[in-house]
Amino acid sequence: MNSPLPYVDTKPQGSADFYYAVNATFRFILQRLGRDAWRSYLEEMGRGYFAKVNEQWSRGGLPAVAEYWRAFFAAEPGADVEVRQLADRVELEVRTCPAIAHLRAGGREIVKEYCQHCYLLGSARAQAAGLTMRLQGGDGSCRHTYATAAARLAPQDPAQIKEVRS
Amino acid sequence: MIGCYDFCGHYEWSFGWFERVGGHALVREYWNEAINHDSQRHARDLIRREGIPGMLKYWGHTLTEESPSLGFNISHGPDVFRIDFHDCPSRGFLLRNGLRNYRDYCDHCMGWTGPMLAEAGFVVDHEHNHQGQCWWEMRPKSATGPHAPVGAVAGAKDVRLRPEWPKDPRQLDRYTKASDPDAKMPAS
Repeated sequence: MNSPLPYVDTKPQGSADFYYAVNATFRFILQRLGRDAWRSYLEEMGRGYFAKVNEQWSRGGLPAVAEYWRAFFAAEPGADVEVRQLADRVELEVRTCPAIAHLRAGGREIVKEYCQHCYLLGSARAQAAGLTMRLQGGDGSCRHTYATAAARLAPQDPAQIKEVRS
Repeated sequence: MIGCYDFCGHYEWSFGWFERVGGHALVREYWNEAINHDSQRHARDLIRREGIPGMLKYWGHTLTEESPSLGFNISHGPDVFRIDFHDCPSRGFLLRNGLRNYRDYCDHCMGWTGPMLAEAGFVVDHEHNHQGQCWWEMRPKSATGPHAPVGAVAGAKDVRLRPEWPKDPRQLDRYTKASDPDAKMPAS
């Protein structure tokens, strides 16, 4: 099957109730093992589970990054995301985060750190591909930037990542 | 972002991470606390409240969403609820994509549904072949005895009638009137 996604299913989109499990997994790790363990979990997942994507990004550069994220959000129910490829970066304008929207619709208590996972995971994946990742916003809408070294992005400001309000 | 499209992939990867960090006990606690008591609390509340009709509502909905091609069959009666998976959407995803970070992904089902069903007053008969085929029968906890004969509940939809289903029960992981994920009699 020809897809920019490393792992493909027989159905076009995932089941949004699985966001409940992602949120519950974060809560379990944060409460049971602490924030450093949660960071390790995401970074190890970024380097391990996502290794095939990272290799695609290393080989294909920014076009591969843009193609991946277009396919990724097309498979996430409820996502409203624009993917823009520029000369030195790919920007994801997340107008509606499908996870936050579904968790809210389901009345779930969302871990306040939820949006940080996109930075911790995305940053580990970008680093493995020789890129830099930054995140601005959160709590339902945000902007992700995946950039080459030429972009000379400023370091990530943690204050730029919003906490989630349930 | 962690997505829901490939959920089964990173979910399975997580089992291996939990086992490396905290051993088997942490994996068990994850399935019970994070999945049974948190993520799937809607299933837990429904089944505790309604019993078998609640199982029909929960699994009827969630399996249709996960497996639109209907690789499963549900049968039920006053004292039994049964699912036959002919093409498990979850295990099938892992097999098709060559993903394995944990020794037996199939254990997660008993890992969270076993404790959930015990809290609701049910025990489980179950067998899986690790190839995306399995069957489940939930009965009130007063039930005793061995597995029901082939076809007794699901008729011709019984997964055990498939030609590739192992005839030797020692080739299957099996549970009998169980609710603890460690009550498995593993394939030999």
